Parts: sequence; C-alpha cells; structure tokens
Amino acid sequence: MSLITQAMRGLRASGPLRGIPRANVERIATILVLVWAVGFMLWQGAGFTITLTTVFAIWAILAVSLNLVVGFTGLLSVGHIGFFGIGAYTMAILASDASYDQLRTESIPTPDWPFFAALPIGIAIAGLVALGVGVVFNRFRDDIFVLVSFGFAIISFSFFLNLRELTRGAFGIHEIPRPAFGGWVLDGEVEFLAFALVCLALVVLICWLIVTSSFGRVLTAIREDEEAIAVFGYRVTHFKLAVWVLSAMMAGLAGALFASWTSFIDPNSFILLESMLLTAIVILGGLATIWGSLLGALAFVLLEEGMRFLPFLPPEFVGQARQVVLGVLLVVLMLFRPQGLVGRYQL
Amino acid sequence: MSVYSWKTLLTVGIALLLFPLALACGGDDEDEPFRIGVMESATGPGETYGTVAIQAKEMAVEEINAAGGINGRMIELIVEDSKCSAQDAITAYNKLTDVDGVKIILGTSCSGAMLGAAPLAERDGVILFSGLATNPDIAEAGDYIFRTSLNDAQLGVDTGNLLWADGVRTLATISESTDYAEGVRRTTVEQFEQRGGEVVGEERYASDATDFRTSLTKLFSENPDALHIASQSEFAGGTIVKQARELGYEGPIYSEIVPIGTTALEIAGDAATGLKAVITDIDPANEKGQEVLSNFRERYGYITLPWYLGSAYDDVYIAAECLKETGDDQDADGFRDCLYEITWSGAIGDDYSFDERGEVVGLTNVVVEVLPVSERNEDNNGYRVLGPAPGS
Repeated sequence: MSLITQAMRGLRASGPLRGIPRANVERIATILVLVWAVGFMLWQGAGFTITLTTVFAIWAILAVSLNLVVGFTGLLSVGHIGFFGIGAYTMAILASDASYDQLRTESIPTPDWPFFAALPIGIAIAGLVALGVGVVFNRFRDDIFVLVSFGFAIISFSFFLNLRELTRGAFGIHEIPRPAFGGWVLDGEVEFLAFALVCLALVVLICWLIVTSSFGRVLTAIREDEEAIAVFGYRVTHFKLAVWVLSAMMAGLAGALFASWTSFIDPNSFILLESMLLTAIVILGGLATIWGSLLGALAFVLLEEGMRFLPFLPPEFVGQARQVVLGVLLVVLMLFRPQGLVGRYQL
Repeated sequence: MSVYSWKTLLTVGIALLLFPLALACGGDDEDEPFRIGVMESATGPGETYGTVAIQAKEMAVEEINAAGGINGRMIELIVEDSKCSAQDAITAYNKLTDVDGVKIILGTSCSGAMLGAAPLAERDGVILFSGLATNPDIAEAGDYIFRTSLNDAQLGVDTGNLLWADGVRTLATISESTDYAEGVRRTTVEQFEQRGGEVVGEERYASDATDFRTSLTKLFSENPDALHIASQSEFAGGTIVKQARELGYEGPIYSEIVPIGTTALEIAGDAATGLKAVITDIDPANEKGQEVLSNFRERYGYITLPWYLGSAYDDVYIAAECLKETGDDQDADGFRDCLYEITWSGAIGDDYSFDERGEVVGLTNVVVEVLPVSERNEDNNGYRVLGPAPGS
C-alpha cells in the first residue's frame, strides 16, 4: 500500500467525518449547500440570483442527464459537451436572425426559425449523432470508453470551429432569439429563468421515471456487472445505447437553452475543459442520484461564482485565485467524500 | 461518539456560510468614489492581454486618484474575470450591474466575451468600452458599445494593400482558428485579391498546435511570393517564423502584431529578421505614450503589447473625462453622449474620436520591420517603424 493511500485512509479514519452516520453526512451536505445558496442569494440580491439560477438550471440539466450515463450505467463519458454544443449550434444556426451582409467576416444563411421550431430539431440531431457514435462506442468499456468519449469531445469542438459554412467558425453566431409563445417573447430574465426551470423539472421527471423503472434497474445492473446481466438474456448494448441517446438529447436541450440565453455562441463555450468540469459536477454531487446532480450543479455554481467575492486580493489575481481555490476544494472534497456529496457509489 | 457531532458541524457550517452577509452590512454613502466596472480575461486564452489591460487601468486610476480624483471624488475599479468566453462575460456583467450597480464597464479583452455581453449592455443601457476587442462584428453591436481598438477589417485592408505595394502577386497564408486571426486572414486575402493578387495556399491550425512543418512544406511547394501569418498566440507565431526559415524558405514574411510580440521574437530569434507586420503602435514621438510605457515598466517590470497597454490606459482617462462632465457614474446616457463628442489625445495617439458605431477614428496602422537580434532592445521592442500603412 502506498504512503499516500495510507495517509488518506488515516485522514478519513481520524477526520471530522468519523463516527457520523452516512445519512447524517448527506443531510449536513444538503442543508449546508442549500443554506449557502439562500444566504448567498440574499446577500447578492435578485438580479444576480436570477443569473446564477439560470446558469444552475442549464448545468443541472447537463449534470442530471450525464449522471444517467456515468452514475446509473457506469459509462464514464467526458464527451457530453459535444451534445451540448450540437444542441446549441442547431438552435443558433436555425433561429439566428443576424445579418452578416455588412460585415467582412464569414457569412452564413440565417433561416430565422422560431425557438420552438428549432428546439426539437436540435434535440433530435443530438440524439441522432449520439445514436451514430453510440453504435461504435458500445464496443468499448471502462478506460477505453473514457478515451473514445474524450475523442468525441475533441472532434465536436473541431467541427464547431472548422465547419465555417454552417457555424461561422471562430467568429461565432449571434442574435440567437429567446423563446416566444405567439407574441409573448420570454426576453425578460425572470421569464427565461422560469422556462429553464420548467425544462429542468421535465428532465428530472424523465430521469426519475427512467431510473425507477425496470429499465433503470437493468442500467444499474449493467453498471454492477455487465456480463452477469447479459447471462440473463438482456441485450446490454441496446440498453446502453438507449440511455446514451436519451442523455444526449437532454444535453441537446440544455445546449439550445444556453444558446438562447447567451444570444451568442462560439466554439470556446464547448471546449474539453467544460466537459471535464461537467463530469466533476456529477462526481461532486454523487453518482447514481438525481438529487446529487442537482446539488452538485448548485454547489459548483456557488463555488465558481462565489469566488468572485474573494476579498483582499489584487484584481489581476482574483481570476487565478478563483480557479486555484475551486480546484483545491474539489480535491479536498474528493479526499473526504470520494462518493460525492450525497452519492452511494465511487467510480 | 465523535467530538464532532453532526449538529455541531452543521451550526459551524451555517455560521461560516452566512458570514459574508454580515460583511455586506454597513457603509457610508457620503463621498463615495465613482465606481467603474472592468471585465478582462484574467484567466483563459486571453490572459496575456487581460492582465496587461487590468494593470494598465489600475495604474491610470492610481495616477488620477493621486492627483485628487475627479472633482475631489476618487475612482474605484471593480474588476471581474470574463475568461474570454461569452458565458463568463454574461455572469461577470450581471455581477457588475446587479450586485455592484455599475453602469460603465471598461472591457472586454476578447471579442467573444464582448459579443456575449454586448446585447445585455445594449438592452440595459450600460456602457461597454473596450480597449482590446477587435472583431469586426462589434461595430454593429449597439449604441452603448465603444472601443479604442482598431477593427480587424481595417488591419486586413492595410495588409492587403501593403502586400500589393511590395510587389507580392502570389500569397500563401497560415492562420490560427480564432476569430481574431481568421478575421485578419480573411480581410487581408479579400483586399489582396481585390488588388489583383492570387492566393496559392491556405493553411489553418488549432490553438494548441506546436509543429507547423507539414503545413508550411505544403504551402512552400506552391512557390508563393510571400507568406502571411495570422496568429493569436505568440508561441505559435514565433514558432511558425522559426520553422519556415528552418525549412529553407527565404521569401518575405508578413504578419499582424502577435508574431512580433516579445515572446514570439525570442522564439523566432534571427529567423524573424526582416519580417514585416502591420500593427497599431505607439508613436516614438508621442511623449505621453512613451511616458506611460516607461511608468508601466517601472511599476510592473515588463512591457508587452504596448499599444494595447496604452489603449487600456487611455480608456480610463477618457472615462474620467466623461465622468467629470456628467458628474454621475450612473448616467450611462450622458457618458455615451460624451464619448460621441469627445476628441482625445493620449498614449495611443492624438485627436482621435468615435464614429456613430462607436468605432475609433483618427488612429492608423503602421508598417514595422523586425530588426536583427543584435539591434533589438527594450526601447525599440525589436522592430523599427517604416511608416503608415499604404492606402488603397
């Protein structure tokens, strides 16, 4: 046993979590994050709270959907950002009404579709791409699956950057519209937040229905022992492919929301680092728990944005300090709670 | 039982988490400073420019405050990291406007971040005033969006004209896949072809690329009269120049500012000698500009991207001048009107102003040539100015 492993075990055995039942630790984690969220939002006021809650809603959709694949099925994917980007770019390409005629940069067609016409197309394309790559990815497991999903994230980014006739490449696409019901455009931040929360609630409901169904129990069994479940006659690859596609479609929905919220996207929003952060959120919240993904996304947004208020630092170092503190906190958490805030399983 | 009961932990945790609420209480409204938001890339791909911009702005604010402020009121900068991304620019923007209540924001360093925050600023009537963002799309971003940085489109036009004027008739280009580099390449090629030139090869590379030999070999097989480089990172710019010469290419090389940055020239060494670039540069005869560079070097111990440094510095003084006129840091409309009317002389040039799209007018690009290694020093930044960019 290595010295580091011994030290970590020692820390856990003698640390502040010793002697506290697991249920209580989860309760503490939940209450702390919620109190933190409420306190932070009371402190910062309504405007910034709306922004942060919108960011939370989008990340939470991504985290809950990724947990279906990573937590419930045991496929550690770091390529989810690709489906997020596909949803975002489909929305941007179909719904943007920007005029590029007077600019001397890349010009693309702008069909100017309404949000709700572009949304199902974005979700469907994310699902179709997932189906295509999923057929190939189904051949891989464990470490190799991580690598191929890594490759998918890289390829997606490369498409967003280089398919200039569709995506405008590095210039990005702007003037992506907000959702509209007839003549009622959700251009207010509160209205958009409400819409994003409705989408999140739908995704949570769908995920809950999946994981509590017999289909979900098969997924859990696949995670525990793929060969054993196959012996009972279950076609494992079909189950894995189905959950992979469903998860990708939810990520596509998050992407469409993201594009509409920011009104401008470029490839920098879909880099591999974002995918890594997303996987970290899922692990931070806890594998195979929907509530954990929500809590993980909330904790992440609070950590990331709360660091903006770090006092006593020269302005040019605040940005770097945020990243260092965030990284250290994640490492510390993984040291003491490798199963995440409310998770039951470790990777 | 453990000495740490879960209730104890919970109580301590809640107390710690609510501690910031206590910090927020209190405060005196009298003699409050003018509050100006700053959004720059303190981290991410634009960190080099963002850090220089933050430091230049801090230096300018300290000078103004040391001289008594604006009619006795000090300036306070509230700096946020926009990370060179649209999403982070939006959260930074909302933090500045909703939490800090600022109506005037200086930034951003990156065009993507600027284009992300610009629609919000336009909707809310908040000033977004950048010294570094160069994407041509920003010109159409709105009535509250201004910049002292020159539009990439002009840079491309000037480069295309220079190539033609130098007798180049066939051109090979290599460019980084970023909005800035792509914009420069595209407008350069467009102008060059409009003058009658022919592009015989185009190569692009990702921002993390380190070896360009294959692309360069392919380009040189077309025997171009010249090579044009458009790069976002100094490492890539310097490495391309070095590898081009290592491959035996002896023709002329043209670029924008990045491949002649301090780091790029260190990487390229003598391979960069004779390289011509179209850049915005602080005029050696501009006393204010030289003073700013000298003060910056004394304060921070380095100089990089001098023109952008000066641009960020000037933005603070222009903001101070408009705040002197409006007397209210919440009066974004008054500030906007002031910017439309102002004519300014500062570190980056004399008598420049803003047109109806918020674009700076009165500043021009210059052509520079990189000096041999033995002649490069801190004062000349490694190059000499040949003169203003040729017109069409």
